[in-house]
Amino acid sequence: MIQLNEVEASLGLFAEGIAGRYFHLKPSSEFASRRLQVAQDSAAMTNDTLYLPEVLETGERSAYRVLVMQQLGVREFGTLRFSIAVARERIAALADPPVEPGIRVADFELMFRHFEHPGAVAALFDLFEGARIDANVLHHYPGMTKHFADYHAVLLEAQPPRAVDTFSALVDTSRCYLRGAPRTSLDAMDTSGSLSEAIELLDRMRSPGADVYDAAAAAIQVYERCSWLLPQWIENEPLAKPVDSPVNWLQREARLTDWKEELTDMDGMILSVEMLQDESVDALQSDNAGDGDIREEAIDLRSLIDERDMLARRIDMERSAIRDALGENRSGTRSYRYDEWDYLSHRYLPRWCRLFEERLAPAEEADLGALKKVVETHRHPVQRQLEYIKPLAFQRTYRVADGDELDFNALIQARQDVRAGKTPDDRVYSRRERVHRDVCAAFLVDLSASTDDPIEPLAPLPTTSSGDKIPNMRDPFSDDDVYSPDYDPQEEPRRRIIDVQRESVLVMSAALEQLGDSYGIYGFSGYGRDCVEFFIAKEPNEPFTQRTLAAIAGMKPKRSTRMGPAIRHATTKLLSSGNALKVLLIISDGFPQDSDYGPERGEHEYGVQDTAKALSEAHEKGIETFCVTVDRSGNDYLKRMCQESRYMVIEEIEDLPEALSKVYQALTG
Amino acid sequence: MSANRKSISPAYLALEPYYLPLGDEIELFTAAYGARLPVLLKGPTGCGKTRFIEYMTWRLYREERRVDIELPLVTISCHEDLTATDMVGRFLLKGDETVWSDGPLTKAVRSGAICYLDEIVEARKDTTVLIHSLTDHRRLLPIDKTGELLAAHENFLLVISYNPGYQSVLKDLKTSTRQRFVSLTFDYPEREQEAVIIAHESGVELEIAQRLAVIGEKVRHLREHGFEEGVSTRLLAYTGELINNGIAARRAADIAIVNAVSDDGHVQQAIADIVDAVLP
Repeated sequence: MIQLNEVEASLGLFAEGIAGRYFHLKPSSEFASRRLQVAQDSAAMTNDTLYLPEVLETGERSAYRVLVMQQLGVREFGTLRFSIAVARERIAALADPPVEPGIRVADFELMFRHFEHPGAVAALFDLFEGARIDANVLHHYPGMTKHFADYHAVLLEAQPPRAVDTFSALVDTSRCYLRGAPRTSLDAMDTSGSLSEAIELLDRMRSPGADVYDAAAAAIQVYERCSWLLPQWIENEPLAKPVDSPVNWLQREARLTDWKEELTDMDGMILSVEMLQDESVDALQSDNAGDGDIREEAIDLRSLIDERDMLARRIDMERSAIRDALGENRSGTRSYRYDEWDYLSHRYLPRWCRLFEERLAPAEEADLGALKKVVETHRHPVQRQLEYIKPLAFQRTYRVADGDELDFNALIQARQDVRAGKTPDDRVYSRRERVHRDVCAAFLVDLSASTDDPIEPLAPLPTTSSGDKIPNMRDPFSDDDVYSPDYDPQEEPRRRIIDVQRESVLVMSAALEQLGDSYGIYGFSGYGRDCVEFFIAKEPNEPFTQRTLAAIAGMKPKRSTRMGPAIRHATTKLLSSGNALKVLLIISDGFPQDSDYGPERGEHEYGVQDTAKALSEAHEKGIETFCVTVDRSGNDYLKRMCQESRYMVIEEIEDLPEALSKVYQALTG
Repeated sequence: MSANRKSISPAYLALEPYYLPLGDEIELFTAAYGARLPVLLKGPTGCGKTRFIEYMTWRLYREERRVDIELPLVTISCHEDLTATDMVGRFLLKGDETVWSDGPLTKAVRSGAICYLDEIVEARKDTTVLIHSLTDHRRLLPIDKTGELLAAHENFLLVISYNPGYQSVLKDLKTSTRQRFVSLTFDYPEREQEAVIIAHESGVELEIAQRLAVIGEKVRHLREHGFEEGVSTRLLAYTGELINNGIAARRAADIAIVNAVSDDGHVQQAIADIVDAVLP
């Protein structure tokens, strides 16, 4: 018996290598859709995920690779390129289309609806197309032959051939042939003659040139061959309606691309008609010609625009239906699973949380100006703080065997030794060596919904006898205008916790750029253990660019605060950096909390304990951690999460940039 | 060097190095050499940059014109300890005297060879500044330790290679350096072309070479997982050579690809599985 958990990490990479794109791997039991169902013991594919059985009743790890190849084969070998228009041209039985059941139906289903028992054609098509995909996989990946054979043998043992006395027996027994059951043993079970025909057609699917239309034609041929038997066969079988499958929806998604191209063409046509019309108007004005032609073009243009709008609406509706069936498309993310510490039962819950890693969507260009201004305001004090840290530099090393300069002291001593009859030291050079600061820092910013809260207003400023306010010199955001008689506090934009968090990270980044340390900037949020979100603004190996600035500006309050998996993921990232000194700085606004972070909603101890465990795991792996919170009640829970020297509660939120730099200096200086 | 030894030395480039053109790079390089424009070869490790420059040197110095030069190509493999002195030259101690010894760059500038600085980003930044005066209209190499201002030989050309896939920001090429070169971008060849190269380099049958090229293509899909450039054509050719020397295909791929590309256990397992799937 093999569990998906055991092979998931390398299997995901295997799938990515073969397909050339990333797929999330999930157990089939996690397939969630309002329109579709996937059996727990079967495999399926959506636009971003491969669903595989959680357990396979075989001892071979390669069985999972067989399932992955079968799913990826659907994309690689042309199943999704099926078009009903081409099928109608190539297959005589489809030449006369029935009354169209509507355009927003998968092309496969349009084909099945040609027949009295669409479910039967669908099942046969599945059989033949599956055979074709398997054959293509084995042709292109011959090393899989043995693994297919092994897995098929297991399946054959679990489901041996049976007498062909029902439709499903015909399909199942045909499948047994594909799984290696000898032809001779199957012939004896064929009472209708349809099995031998199916087998011959299955063999044809193995020829390298067979395509999806050949599979459709074969399915239709067998269907027609056994159609006289179907009425008596289907009494107890649900063959009236084809079972909807993710493949149907993937085909619909592939078809969307054609529709979008059609839309672009129509836009082009509309543009050219509009231009033509403008020219005609000009000509009319100059030649004083009749207006009959223009009216005709105007009508054409209107109908074209109507048609375009209808197509655009259809695309939108189709897209939303696909999302409904296949779930939200998270193609742009990668997913990871992490354990969680259950302090109540004193054990880890293995692979409990699924974390999605994605790039932060950059904010609009307009937001960047304010952030740049913040950097200018705060850069110098923070930089002064960091100047105590020794920067990257060169240092001359003396008495080395090879270098760019002669080391005259060493040289003179060597010559003295020669004169004195001693063996001279031949290390008579000096060279400049680079002094490395081998540091990698990760800033992990809490992007929970509560960071949208406004900063608590400071106590009212004391006033002078004349009634003027005294400037608060400690306030780095102070502005002369504030103290002018015209000042109206209502006009100040409301500053939120997220603003200060964002600005602090930005100021630190600017300072670290000068220092030459590598650093990553991340945010985290999410909702529930299946959807912890980890956002990347900057990876340590990337330069700080305008895009990074836009990504930091894009840090927005999102959902909950499941800290444990976010810390574990940041730890993994830091460990892979390979730097000697690794620092994790967590900036948050409150205690860890999530919808299912603990047995009871609203109970925080579970989250605190898991976060504490994640921090101690990071520490054990050689990572320096530090938590900075802007929550004034932070002392209550932070002391249960980490040592006293490893956290800081910021009283005045505006002090955050400077506090961070002090912490950084203490950790890395 | 005797005539016989010259002919067998790869540095002498008497024999035509094998190179399969992938585009118009030969015409472009020939034109750049004609105008003595410094050339930057950009591309991942093991994609054929060094082989290209060897081939072009052979073509320009041995085939098109028979230039009488012992070493037409001077290659300097850059590393982070490489200093300007290492390239230009230094005073060496000989007995009680100090004697000036030209470095490889100076030798190339004097003799009119093509000087190829391989993986220039690995060198210290102060080193790269040294080549600035050689790469503009002046074509001069100042040697501050001897006070000499060396004018480059008319045949001299500077070629550097740069690998944009490197991780570290510190290893990015300075703009002021980059903008002195015309840039030829290389990448791994398409599957069919790569198979031809592997077959030629390793002597393995074309069918096996095609399989190895498929492995290369698939493994490169995993570039982001700790090995930035995937598997190089060079490693695929090594695998072919091992197979040609009697090692079973899977075992050969195991030592030349799986273990060579990554140390991460999961990545190694995934690559081994890809190899297993693709090889018959």
